[in-house]
Amino acid sequence: MTAAPKNETTGESEKPTALPTDLPKDASRRLKELEDGLFTSDLSVNEFLLVKEVGFHPLGFVMGSSIYHTGLQVRKFTKSEELTKLTEAMYNARELAMTRMEEEADELGADGVVGVRLDVNYYEWGNDAAEFIAMGTAVKAENGQSYRNKVGKPFTSDLSGQDFWTIMQTGHVPQGLVMGTCVYHIAHRGLGQAISSMGQNVELPNFTQALYEARELAMTRMQDEANELGASGIVGVRLEEKSHQWGSHTIEFLSLGTAVTKTSAEVTLPRPTTIISLDN
Amino acid sequence: MSGPESPAGPVDLKSQMARAAASLHDAPAPKASAATSDLSIDETLLLHSIDWEPVELVFGAAVVSVPGGVWNWGDGEIVQASDAHAKAIEVASLHMDRQCAHVHGWGVVGVSVDVAIHSHHIDVRLLGTAVRPTRPKPTEKRQFDNRGGFISDLSARDFVLLRQAGWAPVGLTFGTSFVYAPRRSAGTVLQQKGQNVELANLTTAMYSARESAMERLQASALSLGGQGVVAVRVWEGPVSFAAHAIQFSAVGTAVRLEADAHQYCQPQVVLPLDDSVVQFDATSLRH
Amino acid sequence: MSSVPSDIPAESEGRLSAPSFSSGLTVPDFAACLQMGLEPVGLVQGYCVMKWSFYGAGSPYMRGMGAYQYNTQQGAYSESYQCPHGYVGGEHISWGQNFEQTMVEAAWTQGFTSAYSRLLEEATEAGGHGVIGLVDTVRSLTDQAVVEFHLLGTAVVVSDAPGPPDGRPWTTYLAGQRLAKLVEAGFMPVSIAASMASVQVWPYCMTEYYLRGQGGTYRWSPQYATSEIEQLSRAQMAVCRLAREHVRAQLGTDTLYGATFAASDYESSGGPVLEATLRGNRVRRFKAFDRLDPPRPTVRLT
Repeated sequence: MTAAPKNETTGESEKPTALPTDLPKDASRRLKELEDGLFTSDLSVNEFLLVKEVGFHPLGFVMGSSIYHTGLQVRKFTKSEELTKLTEAMYNARELAMTRMEEEADELGADGVVGVRLDVNYYEWGNDAAEFIAMGTAVKAENGQSYRNKVGKPFTSDLSGQDFWTIMQTGHVPQGLVMGTCVYHIAHRGLGQAISSMGQNVELPNFTQALYEARELAMTRMQDEANELGASGIVGVRLEEKSHQWGSHTIEFLSLGTAVTKTSAEVTLPRPTTIISLDN
Repeated sequence: MSGPESPAGPVDLKSQMARAAASLHDAPAPKASAATSDLSIDETLLLHSIDWEPVELVFGAAVVSVPGGVWNWGDGEIVQASDAHAKAIEVASLHMDRQCAHVHGWGVVGVSVDVAIHSHHIDVRLLGTAVRPTRPKPTEKRQFDNRGGFISDLSARDFVLLRQAGWAPVGLTFGTSFVYAPRRSAGTVLQQKGQNVELANLTTAMYSARESAMERLQASALSLGGQGVVAVRVWEGPVSFAAHAIQFSAVGTAVRLEADAHQYCQPQVVLPLDDSVVQFDATSLRH
Repeated sequence: MSSVPSDIPAESEGRLSAPSFSSGLTVPDFAACLQMGLEPVGLVQGYCVMKWSFYGAGSPYMRGMGAYQYNTQQGAYSESYQCPHGYVGGEHISWGQNFEQTMVEAAWTQGFTSAYSRLLEEATEAGGHGVIGLVDTVRSLTDQAVVEFHLLGTAVVVSDAPGPPDGRPWTTYLAGQRLAKLVEAGFMPVSIAASMASVQVWPYCMTEYYLRGQGGTYRWSPQYATSEIEQLSRAQMAVCRLAREHVRAQLGTDTLYGATFAASDYESSGGPVLEATLRGNRVRRFKAFDRLDPPRPTVRLT
């Protein structure tokens, strides 16, 4: 993960990433214990065994969180447009959570973080405040080789243990969880328009256009992040659409995936056996 | 489950069934060991494949009081609630441990952890099946002489997989922390109304609470002599009767490498062909 | 389980004598049964609706004023608790008791057993050797004190095998592949086993204080800290143990597999009531265990 899409080098959004030691005290104390050899992992037993199988050892359960106030931005009722301030806020909040998680992993000397989950929590007491959480299991290669990504940080990946094992068998190595987001306001239709199209089955070109643009923006930003990591591709891309607490006309388009690079032409994935299970 | 190269060859299920049914006419073996277990037949077969067997359904329960008034507004951690939670888990585990020892089990697998939080008490109920090796090797012995053995929320299936990889569960680890939801002053709320900013105090409060739950989990893993904790599940959320109190919990099974080295499992890759089962629905023909 | 006189309604007799069979099995289960030589002969069921009233042990009206041991049955669980304070007052509950509500348990057992016997009768009528894929539901009708027991299963005939001893069909919750695996592993289903346990708690002063959040009158007293509420802990342990003991009593030297345990509690006017049910498959070993090879782990590509 590197940076927000635009103007992130200026002003506000620079500040949070300039706090490398912003982990709470409790976190450092907990991580100390992990350095002494105990590992914790939210991987299932299956995933644990598969991660071991490709030569990684879990180091610890790592997390990062940020509670962010995502207030509203003034929206023009009849105009479809990106709400750049909200986009930036959503971006920064996730970046903060991800960065803190990476810091925890870094403190453990990890090569990467697998099984990353990104959640957004809203609380009753929150008043527009949302908590962005990133968590996953930090892993380290057992052969001493470094698997850190191009920018020297532990790689992150939202692949499950099973997918991680499979992708490694195909000669690809994860580089980072990449994402792109775009908060878009879709115009309400004017009264005149609504009347003129009443009773007709027609395409609403403005709407089509708006949704199209918003998704493209989110996906392009995700690809930009992957390019910065020198990735050869992104696997497991998901496109999520959420209205959070902004009402139905303001939608966040979030695309997420794991950027991978090809490191070997050799595919070691065994030929699959076809099965049909008789369990109910 | 049994590979295609199974030496026994195909089993004639029909004759097995007939033999089984006829056996009901024989008097039951006088000294058969009567086990009770909540394991499925698959899990029992898996246990047998590594020479372990279920012994008895065992449980542990505890009810621990929470003093009045602790859920009211305050700052930081709700220490008494966290204490009560930890104590309830500890006492329930102790009861389960004793039962396990009593039936000569080496440990308990598939333990379901049922926690109910009430305003004045926290109830914990653990339920699982005690297991033991059928033919323990002379080198093997019960892990703990003074206790029943390990308690694990892993399924019997996971237990088998771990054993095959050279690992053994050593116990259930739990970490819980209750905190009051952090508050912002009215002034701050107004000031931040139109802004999109990080709320640093809130972040720190929640982050710390989550970290202390995890730290408790780790501390209990270390005290059990674990080298790691697998399948950690974390959850959090407001307490049902007090929305401003938030619970963070982490639970997992502490494990230790018993073999000299990790045993790689070399998984086989399979491609299931039963993804979409077409149901023949007679009623749909009428439309 | 004891038998009750034949009382299958005429409707079901008509259904059971029809030449075609009906079966509650899914298609994979049905296929697996045919492979094992089990031929379905009919869908069989048993009902019983019970009403029980609270005038025995466990009735709030039975709550006395002294340390009086109420035992309806020899050997039933009961424990009493004495006030450590040593003072007497109308508000102060100087004694308390946990006890097994044997009458409630007996009513439950009677309801379940009646439904089960009717199911067996239907199965016998249909000429079945055994009943597989049993499903049971126990639910309250209209109000708490009226409970319906319903058991449903598929009666089967085992080809090339004698009927069951005494003509009493064997039963199991299992069907299909699971049943095949059980038999392959060397176990024959004998019957289902089910039990219920009920424990009434009459809290004494200490428990009462804790339940009201008054564990310790003064903040600096050591009791202000958290403390185990022993009376409740012991009641919880007792209800689990009783459920297991009741099932054990039905097992003989056989084994219980695939048990399911369910616990619930509610507040009666006398105090908390804890209940638990335990049910599972009673199975008997008929040959030595064929140990499987340890399984080979797989990864699915989907």
